[in-house]
Amino acid sequence: MMEVLHNLAFGFGHALTWQNLLFCAIGCTVGTLVGLLPGLGPLATISILLPLTYSIPTGGALIMLAGIYYGAQYGDSVSAITMKIPHASSIVACIDGYQMTLQGRTGLALFTAGVSSFIGGTVAILVLAFFAPMLGEVAFLFGPADYCALMLVGFVCVSFVTTGSLINGMAMCLIGVLLGQIGTDINSGMERFTGGLPFLADGVGLVSIALGCFGIAEITKNLDNKDERTPFNGKIKLMPTWPEFKRIIPSALRGSVIGSFMGILPGGGPVIAQFAAYALDKKVSKYKDQIGNGAIEGVAGQAAADEAAARTSFIPLMSIGIPENAVMALMMAAFIIKGIQPGPNMIAGHPDLFWGLVASMWVGNVFLITLNVPLVRYWLSVFKIPYSVLFPSILFFVCIGTYSVNNNLDDVFITATFGFIGYLFLRLDLDAAPLMLGFILGPMLEENFRRALLLSRGSFVPFVTRPISGTLIGLIALFIAWQLIAFILQVRKGKAAEKPALAEA
Amino acid sequence: MKDRNLIRGLFLITISLGFGLVALRYPRGDFSRAGPGMFPLIVSSLLLLIGVITVVRSRFVEHLPLTFNVKHIALILGSLIGFAVISEHVNMIAGVIFMVFFASLAGSAKYSVVRNLKIAAGLIAVALVFQKLLGFNLPLY
Repeated sequence: MMEVLHNLAFGFGHALTWQNLLFCAIGCTVGTLVGLLPGLGPLATISILLPLTYSIPTGGALIMLAGIYYGAQYGDSVSAITMKIPHASSIVACIDGYQMTLQGRTGLALFTAGVSSFIGGTVAILVLAFFAPMLGEVAFLFGPADYCALMLVGFVCVSFVTTGSLINGMAMCLIGVLLGQIGTDINSGMERFTGGLPFLADGVGLVSIALGCFGIAEITKNLDNKDERTPFNGKIKLMPTWPEFKRIIPSALRGSVIGSFMGILPGGGPVIAQFAAYALDKKVSKYKDQIGNGAIEGVAGQAAADEAAARTSFIPLMSIGIPENAVMALMMAAFIIKGIQPGPNMIAGHPDLFWGLVASMWVGNVFLITLNVPLVRYWLSVFKIPYSVLFPSILFFVCIGTYSVNNNLDDVFITATFGFIGYLFLRLDLDAAPLMLGFILGPMLEENFRRALLLSRGSFVPFVTRPISGTLIGLIALFIAWQLIAFILQVRKGKAAEKPALAEA
Repeated sequence: MKDRNLIRGLFLITISLGFGLVALRYPRGDFSRAGPGMFPLIVSSLLLLIGVITVVRSRFVEHLPLTFNVKHIALILGSLIGFAVISEHVNMIAGVIFMVFFASLAGSAKYSVVRNLKIAAGLIAVALVFQKLLGFNLPLY
């Protein structure tokens, strides 16, 4: 207990330098602003803004990235509440939040979301400070086979959570793994799938894939849809009355606990946490009959869970070294670009970075609530910019972002290629988020797979007999069996429904 | 014929064969000493399996049409490629101007040269800030 407090104090010492405060503030603000833009969720926002951090010292860069991440989350929920423009990370905020806007209570909804995020974030940071070091100890028990199994569990969970279809999601994970194979094989030094192109020897750039699949593909989708959005022009009255304020607290606390828990699970993270918190509030809240029609609880619980899960999802990344969802995979890549390998050794090896980051998350929370919540009416003016001005500008940032990774214009061609592939994915109902996870984890999966087989002299038995990997693989098998049975039942039901129809005809 | 589910399956099969057939040419080794070709072969086989399942499954579920709008994606990709080529051979300011003018053809609002000039000027100003203040190495002129 004392140790954690001591460590947190140490972290605040790092987070509260003028420089790091500035990076945190810039990250939160820019993240919110870009996150507000239609079609740009956290993944696209982080990859567009990644180059901004290249010239910044490591500690500050990580703090700024984290700031961008939760700034983007908050920006998403603002656009969801005011205009019902959801990204994957703020679907639930659209339900009650937008209802409140229709009732002219936008300010209250935004205030509720802001305060609940603050509560959720605070709870999550305590969880993070206690659990990450503990889980880091557990990580030392993991062998190569266990790492493989854990990554597979991550694939299965992410596939199911983000796409709702195990087959489509797994396909995308595998495509990601295959894309990760492009480049030089670290064991034999042999070049694979490069087609003799020298700029592919180091592999495909992560930023190119992310900007292609999330930036370019999204822009094109918005252009295809052609819907001109009416900007939000309503009045915003932020301060709630005391009874309203009292309703926020219990729901936000429930959401924080659920969110913190959901954030740690593989494949978990903000999306599933929001749904869980919303479902719980619908069951137990004192005002449950109002939820769905613009109740404070419908906004508070999910906003707290969203923020809490966004922070606790750092736990698997920083203590085990395995990102659990696509956003964390991108974070991991950003860490590696700055020369930090996330994992059990990070907490011991770079305590200043780890605790500084944890403390800065709370500082970021304070910025969100003091800067972004009061200024939200100015942020919303972003939506007054017509899309025909916005999308060439986003394209420009995509180009600059791609180019400045290696100061190489060839990368723009790779981004364009992935833009096309990403658009194809979009039209074929394939979600690109699992692809990101597969791409980042692919090389790690291969390395651990080869090492596990080397240790067992080519036998697959240890994958099943080792307690950790055995349990995890058992879970995957159960899950696949469940999906299979569900599909067969669905087809039978469809057939049964068809038969009477035929009989009538 | 344009069934989205069916095309998705065929698309996955194409990718898996693309990677799998190339992986066959790399040394595989055996399981205890896996060569560089082993892992990609396993992964692409799994993907092939998923592709086949998707094709089979498309027979059982409702057929959905595939919508594909060539114009927008072509304009956007064209403006990216043009940006890269012009930046390489002339300079990046010209690249930005080309990109704004070409990409705007995809916009739904009326095409306006004045508006495009304004956007381009704004973006070039941002690029200058990046170059001078943030130390980005941009070949602007």
